[in-house]
Amino acid sequence: MLREAVVTEPPNQVAQHASPVNEEPRFQIFIVDGGWNSPAHKVLHENFGMLRDLTKGNPIYVLSREKSIEFILSQPSLSGKGPAIIVHDLAALREGGTGSFHGFRLHLGIMHSEEQALLALQLFARFLATHRRSVDLEAEIRRDLRREGIIGAIEIILQHEPRELGG
Amino acid sequence: MPERWSDYLAIFMSALAVGYVVFEIDRRRRKLHDLIDVLGGEDAKLTEGLVSMVESGELRPYTGATLD
Repeated sequence: MLREAVVTEPPNQVAQHASPVNEEPRFQIFIVDGGWNSPAHKVLHENFGMLRDLTKGNPIYVLSREKSIEFILSQPSLSGKGPAIIVHDLAALREGGTGSFHGFRLHLGIMHSEEQALLALQLFARFLATHRRSVDLEAEIRRDLRREGIIGAIEIILQHEPRELGG
Repeated sequence: MPERWSDYLAIFMSALAVGYVVFEIDRRRRKLHDLIDVLGGEDAKLTEGLVSMVESGELRPYTGATLD
């Protein structure tokens, strides 16, 4: 009688830790876009695949145009800044709820050119990929923002071509 | 005290240069904070709105390869 032997290899622990596929999602990502015909809207649409690949393992929720408009009307702080990408830090939400730091948002719509919008989107995707295992995300965001500010100051003082994000 | 008018001019120009740098740094800092903002207690309603849409099933993870 022939028996079919199924050989299973022991799981590679290192590979499991390195792979984000088996991890609990750290972030929830929401895209709120009222649909303004803007450079940021174009860049987001053209690079969504890249963004999705770089944030693999974290669910992305895309609000429809109607839902986005409804949401923006109920949240005036988003008005005129869309498309916006809102990121919930699930670890912070579990720990402290919505009362303290629990994520961040990128207002891509305030970028006036495609080049600026693309740069902001790339920085954002890199940040998410880099910090998905961060213990203190808030401190890291603040440190990164401070560093950007210092680099900007040095560029001004040295009169280098500023790589300005804000336009 | 400076004695020549050119000394006054140099001081004035230096003050202008320093003022410009301070203004520009502050302007960039504000722009950066407009672009990226952390979610805190004041954003609770915004967050709860999105979370409730997910929990009610109104929003589901997007599986498309491109945005329509």
